[in-house]
Amino acid sequence: MKLSREEYQALENIVGPEYINQEPVIMDTYNQVWGNKFFFDEKHSVRPAAVLLPANTEEVSAAVKVCNKYGILFKAFSSGFEYLSLSLVHSKGILFDLRRMNRIIEIDARNMRAVVEPYISIYRLQLEAAKYGLFTGRIGVGYSAGIIAAECCHHGCQHTMVFTSGYGRNVLGVEWVLPTGEILRMGTADSGGDMFSADGPGFSLRGILRGRTGANGGHGVITKASVKLYPWYGPAEWEQKKKPGEPLCFGQLDSVLDGYRVFVPSFPDLDKTLEASEDLCRAEILCAFGIGIIGTTQMQEGNDEEWAMMQKMTRNIDPAGGMSIANSVVAVIGGQSTRELEYKEKCLRAITEKWGGRFSPILNEPRGLARAFADIMWSNGVNLRSTGDFLPSSSSPDGSPAMLKKLALQEGEVKKRYEEAGAFLTMGSGMRMVSWRPEENLSIGAQGISTAQYDPYDPVSLKAARDFIDELFDPRSPFNRYGVPSRGGCLQIEPVTHIHQNWGPLYDNYDKWLRQIKKMLDPNTVGDWTAYIPPEYPDYAKEGDYVLPSYGKDERL
Amino acid sequence: MAWQDYVHDMQRCTRCSYCKWIPYRYMRNTDFAQGCPSLSRYLWHAYAASGKFNMAYSLLQNRIEIDDTFLDVLYKCNMDGSCDISCKVQQDIEPLQLMQELRIKCVEDGQLIPAHMLVIEGLRKEDNMMQSSKADRGKWAEGLKVKNLTGESAEVVYHAGCRYSFDQELWPVARGGLQLLMNAGVDVGIMGTDEACCGGRAYELGYAGELTKYAEHQMEAFRTAGVKMLVTPCSDCYACFKVLYDKIGKKLGIEVLHITQYLDRLIKEGKLKLTKKVPLTVTYHDPCHLGRLGEPWIHWQGKETKVMGQMIIHDPPKKFRRGTNGVYETPRDILKNIPGLNFVEMYRIKEYSWCCGAGGGVIDAYPDFATWTGSERLKEARAVGARAIVTACPWCKRNFLDAAKETGDNMEVYDIIELVQKAI
Repeated sequence: MKLSREEYQALENIVGPEYINQEPVIMDTYNQVWGNKFFFDEKHSVRPAAVLLPANTEEVSAAVKVCNKYGILFKAFSSGFEYLSLSLVHSKGILFDLRRMNRIIEIDARNMRAVVEPYISIYRLQLEAAKYGLFTGRIGVGYSAGIIAAECCHHGCQHTMVFTSGYGRNVLGVEWVLPTGEILRMGTADSGGDMFSADGPGFSLRGILRGRTGANGGHGVITKASVKLYPWYGPAEWEQKKKPGEPLCFGQLDSVLDGYRVFVPSFPDLDKTLEASEDLCRAEILCAFGIGIIGTTQMQEGNDEEWAMMQKMTRNIDPAGGMSIANSVVAVIGGQSTRELEYKEKCLRAITEKWGGRFSPILNEPRGLARAFADIMWSNGVNLRSTGDFLPSSSSPDGSPAMLKKLALQEGEVKKRYEEAGAFLTMGSGMRMVSWRPEENLSIGAQGISTAQYDPYDPVSLKAARDFIDELFDPRSPFNRYGVPSRGGCLQIEPVTHIHQNWGPLYDNYDKWLRQIKKMLDPNTVGDWTAYIPPEYPDYAKEGDYVLPSYGKDERL
Repeated sequence: MAWQDYVHDMQRCTRCSYCKWIPYRYMRNTDFAQGCPSLSRYLWHAYAASGKFNMAYSLLQNRIEIDDTFLDVLYKCNMDGSCDISCKVQQDIEPLQLMQELRIKCVEDGQLIPAHMLVIEGLRKEDNMMQSSKADRGKWAEGLKVKNLTGESAEVVYHAGCRYSFDQELWPVARGGLQLLMNAGVDVGIMGTDEACCGGRAYELGYAGELTKYAEHQMEAFRTAGVKMLVTPCSDCYACFKVLYDKIGKKLGIEVLHITQYLDRLIKEGKLKLTKKVPLTVTYHDPCHLGRLGEPWIHWQGKETKVMGQMIIHDPPKKFRRGTNGVYETPRDILKNIPGLNFVEMYRIKEYSWCCGAGGGVIDAYPDFATWTGSERLKEARAVGARAIVTACPWCKRNFLDAAKETGDNMEVYDIIELVQKAI
């Protein structure tokens, strides 16, 4: 649906003619993102009526007020690389592409925080923060993910949380354009102080700002955020290099950066791996930690090369010999001094010995450790190459190590069925795509992910992916899962109304509260709710069915 | 492959946006981290490679049609391949080939860019991309006493290319390159007035037929002249002779070298001695067509298959062009051999170099965009402390000169030939 001349003009007056567009050719590049095939059964979600490129908070605010005046739906995004980041409930909707809001406004080294705009990605902040001896933490979805998107809007988990905590816990203040267009500055920004409140946006409002799973663009636009930074023990600059004639993906650090050490102990079985992991985390010595999935092997340039390498690896690594990657962990320690590093290394070695672990030379080869360091501290990108898509499946609830272990094993059994049917990527002997991500030295538990890699354009694989998630998430299933299923793993895996409407009553009626929040913040329902919650349920969701969203289906181009 | 054959690539573009940036692990300076000039300048996602996949998929599904916006997006692109390289660090898909095929489709459908129509009209009439008279083609070499291979024979043909042949300000470089070869005793000649366009730039605009036509012409001309090797100072021509002819099955059958490769050979053989000091801090700009786009073509025929359940592989294994085997070290080796020269690298280099701005027909149709892109590169050169930017392509040099003039930048602009001359 196109905007009326009056509506378009009102928006154009705010951002200027160069920064608003409604051409179908351009619009159809704002509705195709990974995961769409899963949700909408096609790559396109609803085509937006217009896209705006606002330059600042005031422009966003003014445009949102126009949306309220004319009943236009809106949603904002930064890089847009997220499930449902571009989806709209109906076609009288606009998107704010925030790429022009692209500044690191401040790095406050003394108070260990940074103030950023939405288009600043994790790695760009990392490059700047390191100059001040500071670190941002890793983001699960890769280098290009926006800081604000991750910390204020979506769910995710990653491998430096043991040190830097989870995304939502790093917000110290925000500038928030509410769905009414009002600008709310939280933290302590409005009382003359800087944007710094240890309680996130302030006074336990974290739950409203993002909760655990994020509002995913459902209740306004975060145009600025103050986020925590942590100590960086490495140099101010570094260089990842490759040799002439090598593919770019071979680029890596020459060695683990000064100030850090990396170890990959392997344990006899999963139980001992998890016991050792708990001890390592509670010893408060880690900067990053991963089980199983962060390998030290060289990432190959393509699937064909990866396949060739895997065949070789299977021959070389004998899981029975105690070198199973699945029962190995990557542990990064850092310190201000050699003495500090030595102390931490001593702890790590003692814990490894206690649980029967050993350091396999293959997995602890120096260049391999350097690769692991870069991957686990910054990112190894997102592996969508193998099959075309993946589901960060279910065991994402914050929880005790015991609960996560139980979930991981249960999920592993379910996933195995689908793998044996050929529906997912199957890693084969000894390989298990289960990851366990502790937060704050395990003091607030951990998150976990088991990843199902599927091909969305293979009907069998796609159906299996949907069945798999349905099976894992249904609170009435033998999993007896408790807690609101999270985005990323994965609120949005089913149509949002379905999951809220059908499962809310089984989860203490959380959905009633969430809808109240939505109504309060967004009285005219102009904030798109495809990945949040509608103020009122439409009538098309049917219990027990896998219901594809109707939005998108009756779209008139 | 026709554009429709890239449907799996269209489906598998995830919008990760890696195509907009240089590969993340190589980022060192946040001011110089973007990779795609088109997206950087025009901002809308459509201008990135990912957007082109999206457009193509919508076109395939009849959701959109080729209109002025489509053409604007498709052609305000330097076809420099930065997106292709960054994308392929993570994915097994072919952004640049899709963009090329979309351009070919537009031309086949008669959806043309007026500025390019003029250029092609000139090409068809005068055998050059500069809208100049064919009769003036050999003038750049007047007085050099070089063999004319239409009547004489030599081992090596020196192909100046359209830009060097008709851009008078650049003639000293073209002449300088030839003189270096002659002075080193190379048995070299030129085609003079009979030299014709390689067809590469026309192909990039979508005029695939012109490439075939000129490839066949050149094969015949070089066969008649009896040359064993082609040397060109133009990176565009190099990539065309070396890569595109092979791609369309018209491999020349003689050795094709960029002049930097031949100069490097002469230096290593001791036939060129770089002895004079050139006290200058310089940086080197990798021409796209010598670097990532100069990588040899890799032919593949086969099918997709799956292993380990759902992992997509190829049978037989497919080697993707990821820019790895472009010409990167040779020009740097030459520069490092020049006494007194202080060589500094920019932040975006080799496979992930920023484009000069002239490619893909942008310099013809959108000169302001070409200038903007070039001036961004000059800023980067300044940021690393260079006083001069050195390149190895007349299109790059022309565009940097224009950008410097337009923006008042006093960065000196050289072709590598000029510095070698200074050092002898």
